[in-house]
Amino acid sequence: MTKIPSLLWLCGLLLTGSAFAADWKMDPAGSKLEFVATFEKTPAPGEFKEFDARLRFDPDKPAGGSLDVTIKITSADMNIPDVNKEIRGKDWFDYAGFPQAEFHSTDLRRDGKRYVARGTLTLKGVKQPVEVPFSWTASADGAVMEGELLLSRGAFGIGLGEWKATDTIGPDVKVKFKVKLRKG
Amino acid sequence: MCSPIIAKGDHFLGARGRGAAGGHESAASRYHTEMLRNTVDSWGAPAKLFHWVMAALILAQIALGVMAANWRVSPAKLELFFWHKSTGMLILALVALRLLWRLANPVPLLPSGMAAWERAAARLGHLVLYALMIALPVTGWIVNSASNVPFRIFWLVPLPAIVAPDEPTADLVAEVHGGLAALLALVLAAHIGGALWHHYVKRDTVLTRMLPWRTP
Repeated sequence: MTKIPSLLWLCGLLLTGSAFAADWKMDPAGSKLEFVATFEKTPAPGEFKEFDARLRFDPDKPAGGSLDVTIKITSADMNIPDVNKEIRGKDWFDYAGFPQAEFHSTDLRRDGKRYVARGTLTLKGVKQPVEVPFSWTASADGAVMEGELLLSRGAFGIGLGEWKATDTIGPDVKVKFKVKLRKG
Repeated sequence: MCSPIIAKGDHFLGARGRGAAGGHESAASRYHTEMLRNTVDSWGAPAKLFHWVMAALILAQIALGVMAANWRVSPAKLELFFWHKSTGMLILALVALRLLWRLANPVPLLPSGMAAWERAAARLGHLVLYALMIALPVTGWIVNSASNVPFRIFWLVPLPAIVAPDEPTADLVAEVHGGLAALLALVLAAHIGGALWHHYVKRDTVLTRMLPWRTP
């Protein structure tokens, strides 16, 4: 007899915590995670072909939602065979040591017409606080979140040794994402 | 005080007058008019400037290319390639201007007394030099396009791709580029050797008429 009220109480707690935040799953076909490094002051684009995002989110009440992203670092493709070979190594992404990167939000908030997910990015074994701004476009069959942020490659030890120098390969990397989501 | 300026003006008019009248003029006026345009026995200043600027660029370019190709993978290697590619595109632009200037001007005659085969070899050598001054930058451009490396000439002008990204194409054309560079080194050696042979053995003006500080 005591089990039912306590379950109800638990449900109520979860509901108040998440309001009407829905669970969203990523549709990989409509999603893209790109990064743009600079080489001799010229954009050098790349892409992580495999990644997954899970979102609990209510656009009207972003607080209480969460964003969790896993990125298969070994799926990086910079469109240049020699570069793709090079970035596997310890000086760059270190595929063997750190095949996966993760982002876990600690809070979501509105910022004007947009939203910001604040959290921790773990990349190449380095944890850094990161803010991920994004726009939200709802559609009949789901929603699309899009945004970009600037990361400093040095903060994550990407480009070690003589590659730490930023005159040939620039210090900043722009990360761009478009995530197609379905309720689920 | 003003006389040199007036004198220069006279020579300049003299140059114009010569074209119309086709008559006689003083040695001094010929000196000034031939500063710019080539004649049948001398190179004008623009032709000399093209020759020596491109000579310096091509020698630097060969050194950059050899170093870039053989350097271990490092920021220095990327820098070397960056300067090699930028210089290559500069050479391609200059050779286009140089060819226009050459086509618009007479070419000084080869000295009399050269054997037919020597004349043929000289013409062929210069033809090959011009062909390589075009073919080397163009094959380099193809390699850059096929290997899909983003590149701005001297950080400024984005270089458009002339072929689609394709690794086998990049590898193949890089081989051709290297082969052409080796051919260039051979023809340059013959070019320099030929100039020295004309100067020291034949004792003619083939070398001196290209020197910037001499005007035959």
